[in-house]
Amino acid sequence: MRHFQRYIYATKNYSENLKELRAKRLEKNKTHVLSQEERVFFSRLLGTIMAHHNEDEGSVGTSMHGVTAREQVFSFSVQGEDDGPSSHTVRFDDPTAKFALPVDSEHRATAFKPFSFAKPHMRAFHLGWISFFTCFISTFAAAPLVPIIRDNLDLTKSDIGNAGVASVSGAIFSRLAMGAVCDLLGARYGTAFLLMLSAPTVFSMSFVSDAGGYLSVRFMIGFCLATFVSCQYWTSVMFNGKIIGLVNGCAGGWGDMGGGVTQLLMPMVFHVIKLAGATPFTAWRIAFFIPGFLQVIMGILVLTLGQDLPDGNLSTLQKRGEVSKDKFTKVFWYAVLNYRTYVLFLLYGFSMGIEMTINNVISEYFFDRFQLELHTAGMIAASFGMANFFARPLGGYASDISARFFGMRGRLWTLWILQTSGGIFCVWLGRATSLPIAILSMMLFSVGVQAACGAIFGIVPFVSRRSLGLISGLTGAGGNFGSGLTQLIFFSSSKFHTADGLSLMGIMGMIFTLLVAFIHFPQWGSMFFGPTSDEKKSKEEHYYAAEWTEEEKRQGLHEGSLKFAENSRSERGRKAASDGSSPSTPPENGNPAHV
Amino acid sequence: MAIHKSLFASLLICLLFQISHGATKERLFSDLEKGALEVTAKPSREGVLDAGIDKLSITWKLSSTATKEAEFTTIKVKLCYAPVSQVDRPWRKTENELFKDKSCPHKIITRAYDKSPQSFEYTLERDIPTGTYFVRAYAVDAKDHEVAFGQSTNEAKSTNLFSVQAISGRHKSLDIASICFSVFSVLALLVFFVNEKRKAKIEQSK
Repeated sequence: MRHFQRYIYATKNYSENLKELRAKRLEKNKTHVLSQEERVFFSRLLGTIMAHHNEDEGSVGTSMHGVTAREQVFSFSVQGEDDGPSSHTVRFDDPTAKFALPVDSEHRATAFKPFSFAKPHMRAFHLGWISFFTCFISTFAAAPLVPIIRDNLDLTKSDIGNAGVASVSGAIFSRLAMGAVCDLLGARYGTAFLLMLSAPTVFSMSFVSDAGGYLSVRFMIGFCLATFVSCQYWTSVMFNGKIIGLVNGCAGGWGDMGGGVTQLLMPMVFHVIKLAGATPFTAWRIAFFIPGFLQVIMGILVLTLGQDLPDGNLSTLQKRGEVSKDKFTKVFWYAVLNYRTYVLFLLYGFSMGIEMTINNVISEYFFDRFQLELHTAGMIAASFGMANFFARPLGGYASDISARFFGMRGRLWTLWILQTSGGIFCVWLGRATSLPIAILSMMLFSVGVQAACGAIFGIVPFVSRRSLGLISGLTGAGGNFGSGLTQLIFFSSSKFHTADGLSLMGIMGMIFTLLVAFIHFPQWGSMFFGPTSDEKKSKEEHYYAAEWTEEEKRQGLHEGSLKFAENSRSERGRKAASDGSSPSTPPENGNPAHV
Repeated sequence: MAIHKSLFASLLICLLFQISHGATKERLFSDLEKGALEVTAKPSREGVLDAGIDKLSITWKLSSTATKEAEFTTIKVKLCYAPVSQVDRPWRKTENELFKDKSCPHKIITRAYDKSPQSFEYTLERDIPTGTYFVRAYAVDAKDHEVAFGQSTNEAKSTNLFSVQAISGRHKSLDIASICFSVFSVLALLVFFVNEKRKAKIEQSK
């Protein structure tokens, strides 16, 4: 409604000039065709209104710039050959015009085109997920080669189990740190540092000669799983909230697929190297060079082709003064104070955590329980991980669709349904005694638990704006924590038969999933309760601005959060449309000649 | 999705083969005739043997107590794990069902059955893991089913055992390559980082 008032205000002030111009025209030319001066006047007037309009409006409509009838504005801009100083072409400085995808007021893309590599949005997406995919390959590269490695290094079952726990534990800490690194240095450097500094650890598998060395190297390689955080962070700053569930689901899912691909890739590479003449105990060491190379190549690509933010790189923008550097203590404080962080930490531990445990354990399970050949068991293990290709994006998409109708409540219910069904199928997998049933339950289990991962990251971007990076990191760390915990409890000792371990893990997962009911947003509600009735607190702005102190607000540091708050009104679901936050048809759309 | 479907389909085909193949194999180790062959395995030197270098002198001949001799067509000689090498390693477990048994995975030699005493000079393969071993010879009939066996140790698998040390699998060239690529990775990152910081400083001073 505001722009209409401005229009009135503007025309009132200029109405005297307008009347003059009109009178002059009718007197001189005796025509209804607008004179040059009138045309100039109108285009400047409308240009002013358009500039204001673009800044004030939320996501609805801005991305459609150029598609609606507002093009009329430009048709009145004057060519100005004959007139000289009195004519001014409307210099419409529209920065959104330079992006290949439609964007919102924060220049985050509002459309997702997976086959495009356009700068900066889709390029960031592809670089992010492929980096993460590469790191998953490296982290789980040892799992399919364990039968060879255990003979070379004389490992016992506890050695192998402990190394499995170590491979996911390192990332608990690196994912925590990664969130802060992204907030402070940008996603690009976070990713590149991780890829290129952990490549040496992958190469160092060639030095390993005993169980201790094997465990340390797997532990160190595991640190690179923090690329998950930088990848999700990168997509969260590049893509609008309405599609963030789908985008994060695709990025996360396609990255997680690496855990499945590695079960096929590493044995294949090993086999080829053996054919080339190497003995098995040397061939597996050479095979590890492949993930190492992939990491170095990806690191270089990220640095040369990537961009931190839609408007440029972080250091450049910071030095130009466009993006302010935030204080780590503040970012940390607001992440730690938000109770939703801990709930998401635990929830992710029993979706992603379970998934990673299965990556380490499932091949051996099928090999032992059903007396399969190693390559058959490997193929089954691979299909578990590869279901991620569609399962995780499906979860993100389901989250986005439910948000469109039911807002945040829809997202929470979607998460609960997906994760609980994952748990049910996990229990079924443990109980299955015939191979076809086991495979069926495993596939349903994989879809449930992987879609739940996607759904969780449909919610994470809304928990905080200021500490988004750190909270992404904490949630991601929760995944590794859950994996280490479940491997330790259920799969490292002879207390449980592996089948019982699976069922018990499923039950534990279902119990922890009940925590979803505790996530409550004052502006949007929760699974069972609606938004708060308090007038002030039920505004998105209040929730996101609460992360800044009065002093910081006075300095205007919270502008980014306010922009985000406005864009996040879509989380009210269908109600957002009837709230009047969508623009009424602007009157300047009409032909100004009728004025 | 298509990849997923075809994987699933090939999986089903594989396991159909497994099911049909495995159903017949319920022959037990305890059914085999014990001590039908007299087997000896003499290491080429004292102490722990080195894989890929040291040798075993293996001999086998028909024992006087053998009864199923008529069925013997082939002799399969294998390297088997002693109990101490099976501790905490379920992938080397001894099972009574012959097709499940994983305690004798390393093949030494397969020869047609001959009444006269046989011998073989076996060089330890380079993929033999570190452990303690003995030698067992299975007598196999025309249907490729085991009917009898003999081993170089006693029934409790505690005498005449020998130890093998595996090769490390490491190579100097591999170590050097690994160091080179690691250094390259770290250097490339630092170069990029420093370069960009410099460019940002130049931009700021503009």
